[in-house]
Amino acid sequence: MKLKSILLTTLVLASTAAWAEPSHRAFVTNEKDNTVSVIDTKTNEVINTINIGERPRGIGLSPDQKQLYVAISEEGAIAVVNLDTLEVVKKLDAGDDPETFDVAPNGNIYISNEDDAQASVIDPKTGETIEVIPVGLEPEGVAVSPDGSLVLVTSESTNMVHVIDTAKHKVVKNILVAARPRGLAFNSDGSLAYSSSEVGNEVTIIDTKTLSIIKQAEIDLPNSKPMDIAVSPDDKTIYVTTGRGNSVAVLDAKTLEMQANIPVGKRVWGLGMTRDGSRLYTADGVSGTVSVVDTATNKNIKTINVGKFPWGVVVDD
Amino acid sequence: MLKNLGIAMLLLWPQIIFANTINVTLHYIGPTDGQVWAGIQQGLTEANLQGQFLGQTYDVKNITEEEVEALPASEITAVLVGTDAKHMLEIAKLNKLTTVPVFNLSSDADSLRQVCLPNLLNIPLSKQMKQDALAQWQNKNPDKLVTAHAWHHDFVKFAASQLNNRFTRNHKTQMTDDAWAGWAAIKMLSDTVARTQKTDSATMLNYLKKDLSFDGQKGDTATFRDTGQLRQIVLLIDKDDNIVAEAPLRGVKGGLDSLGLISCK
Repeated sequence: MKLKSILLTTLVLASTAAWAEPSHRAFVTNEKDNTVSVIDTKTNEVINTINIGERPRGIGLSPDQKQLYVAISEEGAIAVVNLDTLEVVKKLDAGDDPETFDVAPNGNIYISNEDDAQASVIDPKTGETIEVIPVGLEPEGVAVSPDGSLVLVTSESTNMVHVIDTAKHKVVKNILVAARPRGLAFNSDGSLAYSSSEVGNEVTIIDTKTLSIIKQAEIDLPNSKPMDIAVSPDDKTIYVTTGRGNSVAVLDAKTLEMQANIPVGKRVWGLGMTRDGSRLYTADGVSGTVSVVDTATNKNIKTINVGKFPWGVVVDD
Repeated sequence: MLKNLGIAMLLLWPQIIFANTINVTLHYIGPTDGQVWAGIQQGLTEANLQGQFLGQTYDVKNITEEEVEALPASEITAVLVGTDAKHMLEIAKLNKLTTVPVFNLSSDADSLRQVCLPNLLNIPLSKQMKQDALAQWQNKNPDKLVTAHAWHHDFVKFAASQLNNRFTRNHKTQMTDDAWAGWAAIKMLSDTVARTQKTDSATMLNYLKKDLSFDGQKGDTATFRDTGQLRQIVLLIDKDDNIVAEAPLRGVKGGLDSLGLISCK
């Protein structure tokens, strides 16, 4: 039993450490024109556009970075894109109204079903739904811990972060946070998780051992509606998109004090980061752009026109 | 049948782990048909869904004004009222309800705001708020007539569409201003119980007026003025039933406080 879990841990660590060579691309869902824009991250130009399906929102990569997954909400599916050919190779049944998801180290996809107050787990190899887990109203953000043992799901209209144990696929804790929780992210060893609250305008730090809140802080910016979160590779800084605040807030990961505020496009939601943490890519919904942020200078270095209402970003670089 | 039972068990299981579940009974005076009541029921469904995860249950008892007077004070957490302004004022002024949150769910009477009772919480738009919103619109669009509303069944932004979908699915009718008021009152009460872990009326009233940060699924966090009026955006609807704008209109000074009576002073 113990040996098995040690072996599993080793296996998981080995698999997450084994990054494939990056393809130096970023992928962006365009919610209102049913496409994914492909950006070359060396030139920061759009090099391709994929017709993906109706109302694409959440976006992510398979653990081997060979496949791109896109939640196409109106079709109730996850579209699977072969990243060599950029073709949609299949669409996996993902329940009603899949909004966002995260991919576990073992390849399973954890999905929030916004209209059904549930999270579903699908195995992309078989396309089968492994489990459906009831959560609060309007589930939104999903994050799998680095070792794959925990999944967090936010429920926007019931103000909770639900903690799911992936061994049992059961909710083990419900943590009440500020109004309309949205984004989630873990630090590198999974000891801390961060959640953003859009209407409450707060960021919360959760200790994943005790499953309790260790810090909550308001973002001191006018019009800020915190959404997506990224944690720097050294775990010292978190980046939070501020929605109608039209910026990325740079916060100290421990104290949540604001270090910088970087103006980007209008109604910014999705946020992607390069592996080395040097650049951020933001989905600026109302502007129809992706902004590229240099984290060394905290400056917006480029604005790239993409499709209508860009929603989510994933970076393979 | 077995499958249904399975699903029911699945939905109920989180509740089982709470040793100290808080059971909350709210009281309502008003008609039990129509939109206010449907909104209350929608709010209850959602409050109980949240309560399954956090260890609370909620129900609403429909009672008369006379029955409220007979209830022991310790059994009253909050009173929801869907009557006309005259009865509402009588109820809010009852001695035993001095520190009990009394929710106005149905009246736009300015007098209920001007009276500034510390325990009366007005969810609907006041007449003055509607007039101010219309004046802002007409300044810029003198030739196009619109009406002012707290809610609309086509409202999409700020997750309004999700609430509209849930309401229509459960009640087979479209959500109106009155239904939104009923829903909002229950949701802010359940939010208060979940966060304070208390049900006594004085704690409720204090939290609602001072600490509440409520997501009404229509934009910014909603809070109460000292007049007891809920700050909120106003939707402007044209004669073809289309949403044409949200007040406060862009560029108007004062934001949400450009609408209605701001304070008791």
